[in-house]
Amino acid sequence: MDDLTLGPDELGPDGLGYDPDEAPDDVDVAVLAAVARIANLVDPVPAGLVERAQFAATLASLECELMELSYIEAPLTGVRGSDSLSGMAGDAAPVEARTITFTHDTLTVMISLSGADGGRVRVDGWAAPSGALTVELLRPGAEALSVESDEDGRFAFESVDRGPASLVVRRSEAEGAGAVSTPVIEL
Amino acid sequence: MGSIFRRLGTSRTALDSVGPNPVRPVTAGAVHPLGDAMTRPTDSPTGVNDQTGASLGDRAAFALLEFREGRQQALGDLIREASPLLWHTVRAQGVAHQEADDVVQHTWAALVKHAHTITEPHAVLKWLLVTARRAAWEAVRKTRDDAKRRAELPDDSPDHPASLPSSDPLPDTQVLQEERDQMLWNSFRQLPERCQELLRLVSLADRPDYRAISSAIGMPMGSIGSTRGRCLAKLRTILDEQGDFSWTT
Repeated sequence: MDDLTLGPDELGPDGLGYDPDEAPDDVDVAVLAAVARIANLVDPVPAGLVERAQFAATLASLECELMELSYIEAPLTGVRGSDSLSGMAGDAAPVEARTITFTHDTLTVMISLSGADGGRVRVDGWAAPSGALTVELLRPGAEALSVESDEDGRFAFESVDRGPASLVVRRSEAEGAGAVSTPVIEL
Repeated sequence: MGSIFRRLGTSRTALDSVGPNPVRPVTAGAVHPLGDAMTRPTDSPTGVNDQTGASLGDRAAFALLEFREGRQQALGDLIREASPLLWHTVRAQGVAHQEADDVVQHTWAALVKHAHTITEPHAVLKWLLVTARRAAWEAVRKTRDDAKRRAELPDDSPDHPASLPSSDPLPDTQVLQEERDQMLWNSFRQLPERCQELLRLVSLADRPDYRAISSAIGMPMGSIGSTRGRCLAKLRTILDEQGDFSWTT
């Protein structure tokens, strides 16, 4: 603690009142702790960053080939944005029905999103060519949901939370094709 | 990705060509997300994931080895623990909020993709920091290029002024209520930028990790860790000039 009494006149040749080569003392430790605390006050880590990062890592770990987002059903002509809809329904606006198509080589997956009870989302999907598929729905910070398609390639998730998600489509071994995943979409 | 979200968010259709169909029961997911919501196994699959006492660098090495063996829990934990360090690394390069969020996510995705090619597991922490810094520089360069292109347009609207983004990503210090905190932060901001970055990062890390951090930042070795280091000595000197504050209480 004697160090603290050093004045500017007693600074070393390089203007430092403290020897950089000394071992850190209690004050050093306390100052560093205060720096960490203040840095997190001034520039806090965004909420949900950890979950988003975990989700990004999960998707990367699947080593799936990424499907292409090839078609999004365009807004109806004359309706600009969703203001007119959400304005009527307030905060609990129902999810607008919309259709998204993904493609990868010969596989095409179309999903239709519509509102479900409690502000949740219903996902109806259809894959072509038809055949048995396993479809997984992944979301940040949540357990994966998995459904099997019927023989026509239809599948559905009846009620899932809104938010970012990705679908992973696994074709049966007989089809000789690996799993593919969709880009992250906002349900 | 953001643009896709926006487009999706405003798309709507009355079409419901995919009619309802029978839904098979939900089965156990074949995919195991890395988040906490994943079934946290009550019994450790390896029996060796008691990493208390090890440094962050050790836990990072452990997470990589576990991941290579197909066990993802340790990586999920590492992401929770080390993302703040990456966040502050990226922000220290002057990256804006949303871009910094993306850079951190991409850094973790990149680690997963390179998991089998990183030869030295104990280099994982440094690898993460270096990768995040490079991606941050790239993001800053891209933002500046975009801003320059926009600045050349004659009809910039008042809502989108043509000024370059501030190189200082830190908001003002209104959030600091205590005089002592304000004084420390003001003193801290007088340090050279690399000193600020170094101290910001080591303040979040364990002392055994200082070496990895300093080498990732390219600061001379021996400047931190077993010694006080020049940056901390300088900060202490500036603090003394500000007056008599007690730091250990």
